[in-house]
Amino acid sequence: METLKGTKISTLTPQELLGRPLNDVERKYAPPKLYLASNEKVPLPIPRSAIVGSRRASPESMRTAGEIAKVLVRKGVIIVSGLAEGIDTAAHKASIEGGGRTIAVLGTPVDRVYPKENFKLQEEIMHRHYAVSQFPIGHRTRPKDFVLRNRTMALLCDASIIVEAGETSGSLHQGWEALRLGRPLFIWSSLMKDSALSWPKKMAQYGAVELDDPEQVLDVLPSSERILEVSP
Amino acid sequence: MRLNQIRFCSLLSYCPHGRSSEIQHSKQIMIALKTDAFVEEPPIAMSDWVARAIQRQRGEAPFAQFLDSNTVLIPTPRSSLMRRDSLWVPHRIATALVREGIGKEVMPCLVRVKPVPKAAFSAAEERPTVLQHYKTMEVQGRLIKPEAITLVDDIVTRGATLLGAANLLADIFPEARISAFAAMRTISNSSEFKGTFAPCDGTIRYREESGDTLRRP
Repeated sequence: METLKGTKISTLTPQELLGRPLNDVERKYAPPKLYLASNEKVPLPIPRSAIVGSRRASPESMRTAGEIAKVLVRKGVIIVSGLAEGIDTAAHKASIEGGGRTIAVLGTPVDRVYPKENFKLQEEIMHRHYAVSQFPIGHRTRPKDFVLRNRTMALLCDASIIVEAGETSGSLHQGWEALRLGRPLFIWSSLMKDSALSWPKKMAQYGAVELDDPEQVLDVLPSSERILEVSP
Repeated sequence: MRLNQIRFCSLLSYCPHGRSSEIQHSKQIMIALKTDAFVEEPPIAMSDWVARAIQRQRGEAPFAQFLDSNTVLIPTPRSSLMRRDSLWVPHRIATALVREGIGKEVMPCLVRVKPVPKAAFSAAEERPTVLQHYKTMEVQGRLIKPEAITLVDDIVTRGATLLGAANLLADIFPEARISAFAAMRTISNSSEFKGTFAPCDGTIRYREESGDTLRRP
């Protein structure tokens, strides 16, 4: 793994990063601390939507992830992903190209880069956007860290979109956690129609929604301002 | 089905159509309610906000008759299946109401055993009917024999979920008085939308000819 030097890192609780308390359902898998590499203000801006999927995604799915990201950033949505190869990289890059903001939720400590091909991208995200990890500097990365990271990503998002994922993809952990948290989960329509996959139909039984137009996501996202008054 | 009609009350309203700032605000409150988000400053969960608002008005119509101290509160299930430890907003609202001293206890006995399409994402003709709701829910777990039941839901649109659930409960508790409370009601016609805070009571009626429901107001 490549190592990033000289990055300013702050330690925060999830409550401080989100700017609000956590409810009991959220607290169940919330990490006690988060490590943030960013020059931007906290709490994180809203609304936030994750775009996630396979590392070895098809070119078509990579294009789809980029198109969804561009539609959402035009409407002021902050795109969250995991900085992995494939769908994650496409989502981060399209958000930046579209003039939007992006948050990388890492499965490694923030001073490490994985995959090393994303060194430049991670550096740019740390300087102008947000990179978050629940793992302290010096932590030795284990395979299960990426599962824990996916749950944390679900916690940090108002909605999640899975663009492409096989039966054993790590993105499914994020999908199930989003459903548990009661957050909208969207599954790209080609996955729903893929008879070789069982997970999209299963998740649909638990509340996931088929997505064929990125604008649908906007209907379930909060606005960029916190609600300060329910009723005048 | 035993019940062709139930009475309901609700506290808030939202309109899915229209661009006015009041309508946009009501949509934001609806989104916050669906996820039990924190609102206002200092932050308070929407379920607690609703319970406190009801507490302030509990002695007044329309809430006094629906939410008295002998009433058992039964949260309605989601349209989808639900895993353990998941966010269940109607249950959180019911629990918050009891914490405020409203209702006798929460009895989370209604369970969805087969998912039905989400009304919000379905065309009008594909929305589940009362009968579909009735057939896809079960009563499970510890049961007490209530004199009065108030079903608790987050949002009522046509009321098919509430009327289906009420009929299932009427089979098990034929002597109980059953009514419903929804924190928010949908107002489809923007000209009828009068603001987010809009306490009301009314009826949800089964229409035999079409199999659907009519909610008024």
